[in-house]
Amino acid sequence: MKFLTRHPAAEPASVLYRRCTVDLRSGAMRHEEVPCRNLEDVLGGFGRSFQLLAERRVTAAYSDENPLIVNTGLLTGTNAMTGLRTYFSGYSPLKGSKKGLPAAIWSAGSGNFGAKFAWTGLDELIFEGRSTGPVYAVIREGSDGPVVELKPAGHLLGLTTHDKIMALRKQYDGAHFAAIGQAGEHWETNYMGAVALSTDNQLRSGQDKCRFAGRGGMGSLMGYKNLIALVAQVGDKLKPVSEAVKRVNINVIKGGGSTRLQPIKRGGGGGTWANYDVLQAFHAVPINNFRPQGNDLPEKLFRENVEKAYDIKSEACYRCGITCHNNVHEKKADGTRGEFLAKFDYEPLNLLGTNLGLHDPGQAAALIKLGDNYGMDSISLGVTISYVLSWNERHPEQRLLNGATFGDFVKIRELVIGAGEGRTPDVGRGSMRLSEKTGETAYAYHVKGLELPAYQPETNPGYAWAIAGGHMSMATYGLLTREGKSDLESWVTGITQTKLNIVGFDMIGLCKFFDIGKGIGTQMVVDCLESECGLEVTTGELASAVRRAFLRGLALELRQGYTKEEFTLPAEVFEKPNGNIKLPPVVASPAFFAELSRRVWAVFEPELEGLLPRLE
Amino acid sequence: MQIKVRLHGVFRIGRFKEEVRDVPSGMTARAVVEQLQIPTRQVGTVLIGGVHAGIDDQLPDGAVLSILPILGGG
Repeated sequence: MKFLTRHPAAEPASVLYRRCTVDLRSGAMRHEEVPCRNLEDVLGGFGRSFQLLAERRVTAAYSDENPLIVNTGLLTGTNAMTGLRTYFSGYSPLKGSKKGLPAAIWSAGSGNFGAKFAWTGLDELIFEGRSTGPVYAVIREGSDGPVVELKPAGHLLGLTTHDKIMALRKQYDGAHFAAIGQAGEHWETNYMGAVALSTDNQLRSGQDKCRFAGRGGMGSLMGYKNLIALVAQVGDKLKPVSEAVKRVNINVIKGGGSTRLQPIKRGGGGGTWANYDVLQAFHAVPINNFRPQGNDLPEKLFRENVEKAYDIKSEACYRCGITCHNNVHEKKADGTRGEFLAKFDYEPLNLLGTNLGLHDPGQAAALIKLGDNYGMDSISLGVTISYVLSWNERHPEQRLLNGATFGDFVKIRELVIGAGEGRTPDVGRGSMRLSEKTGETAYAYHVKGLELPAYQPETNPGYAWAIAGGHMSMATYGLLTREGKSDLESWVTGITQTKLNIVGFDMIGLCKFFDIGKGIGTQMVVDCLESECGLEVTTGELASAVRRAFLRGLALELRQGYTKEEFTLPAEVFEKPNGNIKLPPVVASPAFFAELSRRVWAVFEPELEGLLPRLE
Repeated sequence: MQIKVRLHGVFRIGRFKEEVRDVPSGMTARAVVEQLQIPTRQVGTVLIGGVHAGIDDQLPDGAVLSILPILGGG
């Protein structure tokens, strides 16, 4: 980024970002310094990429018109704690409207690739068209600025995400990597391909500890483009940490926002895995395709029970003090740590465990690892498989695919492998398409074509207005469960004002755990921007930019053919209320939802006017 | 008066899952949290009789107080 002003909100055109556009068909590249149009452009991430996507009419995800945009945020690669994010944006092969048009999506991941990418001097890399053969891109720092090269990638085909990264590592010293797995290579039959991002820990230990940009099938879009991997090779360029950023970083760790995520031995809650315990208090842990049974089965995957047979190691992203990773290892007979199995986060553990009727930690770990190695979004994978299992339970005489049922690990594993290898398109193409094919859509747990995370929709009507991941782009998933809010006013305010702020983290380069409750319109972020970029921005300006970016995403959904009726929850929620969930059922009642919808659109709709460019 | 305290998640470590306790009448949920040496900033949700309550709410005789860690994210 080049800053010719200290006031980017007032003078965005005086901030220039470095973009390279690669035509994958011809190999031609265009490097340019682009003046920002607004503060969203300056901040980066989806705040910028969605403006680029809005300039195009894209009717099919797998088409020459659909770019893959790889970018970072303003604080990626800085000393601000968690500043490691890379963003992948494009029109999604997975998420789309009933009209058949693909939705714009972004997906974010940590790991060290983003920082390396930013340190090459590049802010954005756009891949146009499709290469005729498999390639990977190498981004380096040249004497006149960043350099991008395309290289043949035939030797990487068929390898897992981890193996691709380790193969590239042998060639590129001091580099970090982004790679798809076999799922992305099979883009025609797998729309939920993720992008794996290498971590310091992974390269050092040789263990498959990637991070993932999972949602919306950006790995499949990469696969369609025949772009197998990205390499960012440059020396580390961290400045000395300023006193201001030091204070912010201490606040991130000690200020309370990340407490629940820190290791138990440090007095924290032990990562997102701890959600199991909280949600089980309400019998709201998804089980057997989002139908909690009011029993103790989810407790089998409580940490306290897993710890009896497995060793759990707390680890962190590069230079992050939150230390939210819970890496599960075998426990040897003598009690020492054995082989690394998988990272246990709430979403993958639930959606590839309890929600499939699997309550054995070893089996859940095996599926998480498989999904990661093939490079699939664990949420979309788990929820689509739980749909299959649910269908098979309801139709014992007419079972789908291999006839897998809840709890049948062997057959569920077959489905994961089949999807990863592109042989099981009914799973690989997601729950929306499969349920439309079977004709039973009510219990397909997606909203607008994107599978739901592991929070019961009965507890979160806000899912309907999430513009990317259900919980990571609309933070209402705890409004009822955690905050106990069941009145209309709180929900309207949550959706239209406070809880949409979560998307700000997907602009600026920070992980949401930096300050998940407050968003980026805070003094902590203001201090980081001043210290790391020399910019003066107010909390109000940041909050306004986040709101505009969110609303642009909503406007883009409507332009891609979504009707307001598609902003809803899976029909089973309304048709068969689950009496086992010990929370007020009111927020998912049809009457409440109808009134909520009316009130939410009354706020949003007037603000959508003029946010998108007019297309020819 | 007597109340029943239910702890969830990490709050159980070194404490208990469920316990009946004798407490002075008019005691608040916060006072119980402090008595149990649970840092209040780690408390996400307090339920009294299964219903969401404020941490400064007073506990009635016979109340079932549930103390939950913070929910959220990822």
